[in-house]
Amino acid sequence: MKPKIAFFDFTGCEGCQLEVLNFETEILDLLNQVDIVNFREAMTEREDNYEIAFIDGAISTESDVARIKAIRDQAKVLVAIGSCSSLGGVNCLKNFYSMDEVLKIVYGKDAEYYNTIPARPVSAVVPVDYSIAQCPVNRYEFIKVTKALLLGKKPEIPNYPVCVECKLAENVCVFDKGQTCLGPVTRAGCGAICITQGRHCWGCRGLVDEPNTDSEKEILKEHGLTVEDILKKFRIYDGWLEVAK
Amino acid sequence: MINFVDTLIEKKAAEEIVGVKASDSKYIFGKLANAGELCLNYDVTLLPPKKYFLPQRETVFKFKLGDKPSLEPVAEAKSTILIGVHPYDIKAIELCDAVFTTINPDPNYLLKRDKATIIGTDCLSPNPKAFCASLDTATTESGFDLMLTDIGDSYVVAIGTAKGDKLLKKYAKTREATQSELAGRDGQRKKALGEYKVSLNMSPEEIPGLLEVSWGSPVFKEKSEPCLSCGSCVMVCPTCVCFDVQDDVAFTLDKGERYRQWDGCMLVDFAKVATGENFRDDKEKRFRHRMYRKGKYLQERYGKLGCVGCGRCALACLAQIASPAETFNLLKAS
Amino acid sequence: MVMQLTPKASLHLPRLAELVRVESLAQREKVFELKLKDGEELGHKPGQFVEVSLFGIGEAPISISSSPTKKGSFELAIRATGNVTNALHRLDKGATVGIRGPFGNGFPLDEFRGKDVLVVAGGLGLFPLRSLINYIRDNRADFGRLTVLFGCRAPAERLFCDELCKWQDCKDTEFLETVDVGDDSWTGSVGVITTLFLKIDIEPSNTYAVAVGPPIMYRFVIAECVKKGIPEDQIILSLERRMKCGVGKCGHCQINNVYVCQEGPVFTYAELKQLKEAV
Repeated sequence: MKPKIAFFDFTGCEGCQLEVLNFETEILDLLNQVDIVNFREAMTEREDNYEIAFIDGAISTESDVARIKAIRDQAKVLVAIGSCSSLGGVNCLKNFYSMDEVLKIVYGKDAEYYNTIPARPVSAVVPVDYSIAQCPVNRYEFIKVTKALLLGKKPEIPNYPVCVECKLAENVCVFDKGQTCLGPVTRAGCGAICITQGRHCWGCRGLVDEPNTDSEKEILKEHGLTVEDILKKFRIYDGWLEVAK
Repeated sequence: MINFVDTLIEKKAAEEIVGVKASDSKYIFGKLANAGELCLNYDVTLLPPKKYFLPQRETVFKFKLGDKPSLEPVAEAKSTILIGVHPYDIKAIELCDAVFTTINPDPNYLLKRDKATIIGTDCLSPNPKAFCASLDTATTESGFDLMLTDIGDSYVVAIGTAKGDKLLKKYAKTREATQSELAGRDGQRKKALGEYKVSLNMSPEEIPGLLEVSWGSPVFKEKSEPCLSCGSCVMVCPTCVCFDVQDDVAFTLDKGERYRQWDGCMLVDFAKVATGENFRDDKEKRFRHRMYRKGKYLQERYGKLGCVGCGRCALACLAQIASPAETFNLLKAS
Repeated sequence: MVMQLTPKASLHLPRLAELVRVESLAQREKVFELKLKDGEELGHKPGQFVEVSLFGIGEAPISISSSPTKKGSFELAIRATGNVTNALHRLDKGATVGIRGPFGNGFPLDEFRGKDVLVVAGGLGLFPLRSLINYIRDNRADFGRLTVLFGCRAPAERLFCDELCKWQDCKDTEFLETVDVGDDSWTGSVGVITTLFLKIDIEPSNTYAVAVGPPIMYRFVIAECVKKGIPEDQIILSLERRMKCGVGKCGHCQINNVYVCQEGPVFTYAELKQLKEAV
């Protein structure tokens, strides 16, 4: 019996599902190992007897809450993929406004027909077995996690900062180029892809388990950022943590 | 020199001709396409040449799964000529050799190491965090096949091994150095010694003894407070040799490989066991462990100090706490 | 320069072994009997460990539970805690695993000869100590008195129950056990393992105490041994670390300047006192 897996999307850009689908050759291998029974982005048939559920998108309406609870009840293993489902992600930027204000900004005079709640990661609503944050999800990591689950092994998700992978890639440190970076507190697993491509780390994989954020803030300050700038930097993906505190 | 290096590349003197190249505003060891890429007057490379003997990630063996699993050892190496290795990195390679080739010789390391030729070059413009002059690692008399010193209009070449001698004879035009050229080399080396901005307030022989009495020092807590546990210091270190071992399988789930990859004692989970206990669970302990490894433990085990003073850790550390020289000096002062 | 030593290809390469018997011990513990496929003996000493590979899952250090006097196969008793051990628990007889080792120093048997041995096993600590206990029992004339203290959390967590009974009934072994918390069926001692020290009478200068258990147990057991007057270099402990390579390279098991996989996992208390991060 092949394990049945399902994909569900919540509030987000759906980039994560596309990212998984883009991985064509591996997706074919994947199809030999599992039955995909639910994948809105890729197929019309649906079954609700899945064992592994992959969730992308944040929870941001009351109906999202009910829906994720039902998925959790069915799934043996629930994996949050991408920054929105794992961390709350950019959706949580709205949490810094009142919900009424948010509705007005988005829907204008039709605001009264919609409801919204502060955006949150899946783990704030139901227990999540594994989270693989990244914006969009890292398809190599998605494959790695899926393989681990098929082998009955706990997926290894790094608990060290991006700096490790950045050093292994032999990049020049972003700070040495006169810019700033969230790599020193952000969970690795991306292979320091943004820095390797000439940018800096935005923190889309969330913080490591024991981040020294005080030290990181000091370093950012020394490199010319104001407290306001620093908060903004952290808020892009980690706004949920700030509000939750 | 250009001719020599171009000849090495053209005549394929080895499967890989590797040298120091510019990368963004820094330097790296990388495969040379032509001699023009080679930068011999550099301060330090981002990663040490250790990566050619202990790669960041390396397959140890491959396996087939199923009812009858089978294994296939993997130890691959290409003959490699490394050009432009600084003396401190040569000293570091000598330490790695001690770790990987003396007790329980490591086949993967040994194969790569045996197929390497090391052409060193004296470091004439040290980086601002280096302190090789204090550790006797600014120059070296051993560990190279050839050693080059830039004396302005030409290079003085010292021959370290028969292998180096053969290479030189086959691919370069050389002549016996004159007394004044040799004096020029000594002058260059002496001048370079004066360029170091960081120094130790003690002889290298004193370090293990200093650490012996410093275990409870408040210096470790104070210094480690801003530590990000980001591992940058250990990832760039030429004498850090710790690794992690993991399995990876193909998506067909019928085959895979075991690989090892660089790991480091400054990372939070390094000393964690399966039952959840972490034997170095805070940054002070990890910071201290690293300092002791550099200044005492490796010395006791292999007779060589675990730090060569290259300054890479201090250059990479955003919290500016990684330099062993700084900590050793603080301990000495307190 | 590079020393001309011939590296063993087997340094990182496991030997294949077949599971010839799998037996449940307690809720999360099983014992696995293995036979090397090359037909050789493992050739271990009590207190040593092997690295067990489940290809695709990984490798984990496991202490050897059987005595070297048992020929033809060896036993590993394992609690399912991590990736490798959980996967092992799903395997049946006939499955193939990888084995590297034996590694580590093992218990100092030569020093034990002619002396009394006090074995102190806390919970899973019984696994490596069972190798020692059975070794001594199989070479009974070489050793003095054998006293075994065993403590675990609850009656349901007792391990190798058949053998515990055997040791209890045997005249040449003094066996005492306790559980932290009893239940309706339990008629034996209740209390932590150190309470058993009140019930034994030993000749300290002629006794080697060998303790294996959770890290928390060591501090208390060491104190009891010292109180009994056992010299510090005759108090023997085995340490748990994350031995990844088993051959003194990867750095994971390092305590100060010691590699637990090389100089350990067995240390005297006198040695451990010099190691600041050990217990």
